[in-house]
Amino acid sequence: MRTTAPMALDLRMLDEGRLPREIFWSEEVYRLELERVFARAWVFVAHESQLPKPGSFLTTRIGEDEVIVVRKRDGRVAAFLNSCPHRGNRVCSAEAGEARGFVCNYHGWSFGLDGSLRGMHESGAYDREPGFDRSELGLTPVAQLDGYKGLLFATFDPDAPPLAEFLGDFRFYLDVMLDNDPGGTEFAGGCISSVLGCNWKLAAENFAGDALHAGWTHASGAEAMLGGPVAALGDPSNESYHVNVNGHCWEFNLDSVGNAATIGDRRVVDYLREHRSRFEERLGPVRARMVGSVSSANVFPNFSFLPGQNTFRTWQPLGPHRTELRTWVLVNRDAPQEVKDAWKKGAMLTFSPSGVFEMDDGENWEGATHSNRGVVTRRQPLHYGLGMESRIDHPELPGNVHRGQINDANQRAFYRQWAKMMNSAGWDGVLETEDAR
Amino acid sequence: MTPATTPATVLETADRVDAGLYVEVLQFVAREARLLDEERYPEWLALFTEDATYWVPGIENRSRHDRSGTHAPERMAYFDDTIADLRHRVDRFTAPTAWAEDPATRHLHVVSNVEVEAGEAPDELTVRSVFVNHRGQGSTDSAVLYGRRTDRLRRVEGRLRIAARKVVLSHATLPAKNINTFF
Ligand code: FES
Ligand SMILES: [Fe+2]
Repeated sequence: MRTTAPMALDLRMLDEGRLPREIFWSEEVYRLELERVFARAWVFVAHESQLPKPGSFLTTRIGEDEVIVVRKRDGRVAAFLNSCPHRGNRVCSAEAGEARGFVCNYHGWSFGLDGSLRGMHESGAYDREPGFDRSELGLTPVAQLDGYKGLLFATFDPDAPPLAEFLGDFRFYLDVMLDNDPGGTEFAGGCISSVLGCNWKLAAENFAGDALHAGWTHASGAEAMLGGPVAALGDPSNESYHVNVNGHCWEFNLDSVGNAATIGDRRVVDYLREHRSRFEERLGPVRARMVGSVSSANVFPNFSFLPGQNTFRTWQPLGPHRTELRTWVLVNRDAPQEVKDAWKKGAMLTFSPSGVFEMDDGENWEGATHSNRGVVTRRQPLHYGLGMESRIDHPELPGNVHRGQINDANQRAFYRQWAKMMNSAGWDGVLETEDAR
Repeated sequence: MTPATTPATVLETADRVDAGLYVEVLQFVAREARLLDEERYPEWLALFTEDATYWVPGIENRSRHDRSGTHAPERMAYFDDTIADLRHRVDRFTAPTAWAEDPATRHLHVVSNVEVEAGEAPDELTVRSVFVNHRGQGSTDSAVLYGRRTDRLRRVEGRLRIAARKVVLSHATLPAKNINTFF
């Protein structure tokens, strides 16, 4: 691993509301990103509900590393690399299902649900081999795996601070989605994946803070689903915020159902209205109004969601200019089945590759990626200068709080966190960044 | 898993189809494809019955012996639509603010392998087909999607109308950034 970044992000530039374009184009930056960000950060790998019983598994990626996430016989979840220690073939080819173990197609090495090497074709030959030790040849586990209220995250870095510390006070905000109901949450069935020709960060920063694009990019979607434009979110009468903790970002207003209304099904909005007092009981008056409001969020580095539409997704990098989008739909476990179904369908109708809103996003991110092919184009820094003096203290909201959701504060915080990880091989001072006032 | 169809069954079914009817169905699916190519969405919508369903399930890459299959109604779908939902989608396509639609996508819907069978109701047909959908966008972008359709066509006032369509894509991971078309 390198000890110094080949192209350290100039933090002063970010303090002036500017960002170099190189970070969306350079192969070198991308390779370092895989080492310093994806091989170290806590990355979302599964929702508990996707692994209902022992043997339930799914395959995913952390950075470009392929990973199997599986519920073991003892009921606990494990995650390890999907690559055979023998010649490297993948040992699991399905994206999800149930298994008693994993057998490699190449030479028949077989692994238990805990990743340990159990046996192999022609095992006698290995048994006669002096010094051969099965216990050293299991599937490589992630360094740490932990959960927060149903969401499971993993990191390859044994030195990474615990998940609770990595998420920090962002857990206060995550509870808006994960703990507004005593029954907790689950993913509605299935997973939809697609491929975008963009840098993953452009998608992540969009969910981190880009309320600005909603009214413009998604004007046609709003026209189709609401019969009119998105309300002007920058109006001072719109009480709204950017908040961020450790690079995890949430932009929101307090209109309660603005996002939920876009999916065009009364049952969802009615469910939110009927449960308002329960949300207040559990979350207090401010967070209760965030449950379905006009908002978006990104858990650093690449796990995004939209309250209200309830689409949850990861932006999995496939190179500096290619990203696989995987999406799921989050619902309250105890919600009536028809409400869950309405949410699943509505999330797809609005935010999926065929969704009337999302359809206009990919085009923009691809354009914003590929224009950077030009060497002269790359010399011009990009503008991230909205809300330079928007930082406030709020009696109820923890973390870095900024007034107004039409703002670049969260995007700056996202890149500040990214830059800190890129510029340092360790964790000293990497978390708990204070935004400038 | 559906039970394997014996070759004899396929031939018998095919034998029962009247050539005139087969040609009428061929003409119908070709015209429908051209309406989509030319983005004549309101006219395309008029080919559906008011109670129509349009389902394009997400496809999962699952093991052969996984009985839950590659797609299922309880899983997420690209489209799980009624006619009202399809109208919402068309409203987006036709909105002047649909920025991604300008310049226009160059669509090509190729429909083939058409099979016509008697439907469950006397005024209905089961029509199977496969498609290749090419979209050219911008100067150089292109996306190709493949899939298999099963339609329930109903005769309404003498004309064929789509009462139900199921589209099974050949892709688990969609090799495209979006689906700004129909199949
Ligand atoms: S590569 Fe897996 S058994 Fe040889
Ligand atoms: Fe968007």
